[in-house]
Amino acid sequence: VTVHHDEHLDLCAGLALGNLDVGDRERLEAHLAGGCPKCEAALAEYTAAVTCLAAAAPAVEPPPALRERVLQAARESAATPAPRPAMPRPTSIDARRESRRGSTGWLWGRVAAAACLALALWSWRDAARLRSELRAQQTRIATLESQRADLEERLAAEKRWVSVVSAADARVAALAATPDGDPAVRARAIVDPHANRVVIAFSNLHVPTGRDYQLWAIRAGKPRSLGLVHADPAGDAVLQLELPDAASVQAIAVSLEPTGGAPTPDAPTGPVVMVGAIGG
Amino acid sequence: MTPQERDLGLLLRLQARDESALASLYDAYGGLVYGVALRITSAGADAEDVAQEAWLQVWRQAASYDARRGTVAAWLLTVARSRALDRVRSLGSRRRAEDAAGQEFDPVTTASPQTATVQSQLRTQLEAALAELQPEQRQVLELAYYGGLSQSQIAARLERPLGTVKSWSRQGLQRLRELVPREPWA
Repeated sequence: VTVHHDEHLDLCAGLALGNLDVGDRERLEAHLAGGCPKCEAALAEYTAAVTCLAAAAPAVEPPPALRERVLQAARESAATPAPRPAMPRPTSIDARRESRRGSTGWLWGRVAAAACLALALWSWRDAARLRSELRAQQTRIATLESQRADLEERLAAEKRWVSVVSAADARVAALAATPDGDPAVRARAIVDPHANRVVIAFSNLHVPTGRDYQLWAIRAGKPRSLGLVHADPAGDAVLQLELPDAASVQAIAVSLEPTGGAPTPDAPTGPVVMVGAIGG
Repeated sequence: MTPQERDLGLLLRLQARDESALASLYDAYGGLVYGVALRITSAGADAEDVAQEAWLQVWRQAASYDARRGTVAAWLLTVARSRALDRVRSLGSRRRAEDAAGQEFDPVTTASPQTATVQSQLRTQLEAALAELQPEQRQVLELAYYGGLSQSQIAARLERPLGTVKSWSRQGLQRLRELVPREPWA
């Protein structure tokens, strides 16, 4: 752990601007790794100031066609083999990580197999044919590389959520069905009051047609919407949510609402079907 | 609901591959992302490509957003800036990013009506704050953010000691924060 100097605050400004020289960045990162409340507070301030700097750029209305181009590109990107299901099944996070690593391994296996095939073809195919094969492989490898980078990003994100479940002072709440609810539904919430995150898993959750389940955090007796709960066809759902001021949340509840949820984020309109107090 | 709460909800839906959430996020911040891309690349065609790349990255890597490191809007800006600086660097000598740093742009058109009032109020406030900074502080911040220059590159360019550039960076950000205590889109 390095001792805090005011010089570190200068470096925090550079980090927020993203223009520290390499040596300075490594020095600051080593300092921050040891935990420094002064620098962390300054970094948050400077980052907010950088956002102000960016927001002062003249807002320019983009060409109208750009919106459709962006959405079209997203659709096409979604149409390529998706490395992740829309809503993760509530298997253990380790199991999910395993299956992802498995699928990447499979993809690399394909590359290796294809490379062997290319070698075998050498004996009887002409060079031009081989060159086009090589180009196709390079494209495929580039695609796989970008998918792998994607997966690594996702894995890093998952790890942050794993830390919620394993946090020493994580609080657990089993949500129980109310008399208005379906006793077959199982739900459990794990709150990390320091990271201000909550992971909630549901099973057997089947949404009646024309309705939606909505999740609420109760603080000082007042509900605040955490959004809708969308289960997969098997009735499983895992939600990973940022929960500001998590330590003050007394309970988590679920209500049955019209499609799209309650009109205001602080007032459930339908019956509360599940509720669970957050234990210490 | 604060903008940040709304944006977090949109981001969760992005992670679930909900395309309408991307459309909503684009409608809220499309002008901002494009504005940063245009300011850095200073060419309309490049800015369009950069904005598209940035939005596609947001779509594909929504899970990499970390709320502890800033608002969703700040993350969008970071992504747009990185893609724009990549573009300018790959273009090399054709167009130097630092030339764009000090350059002024006339907005081609105003933002869409529903967001125009709020955004223009915010911008007026931010422009006033920037005008309050010492010229050298402002120059250092703009060379860093829009020009993508490292601190030592700025020091060489301005012919000032590196330590001075570091202090100006910090003083500039601190002053900006004092002048605009509330973060945009928080």
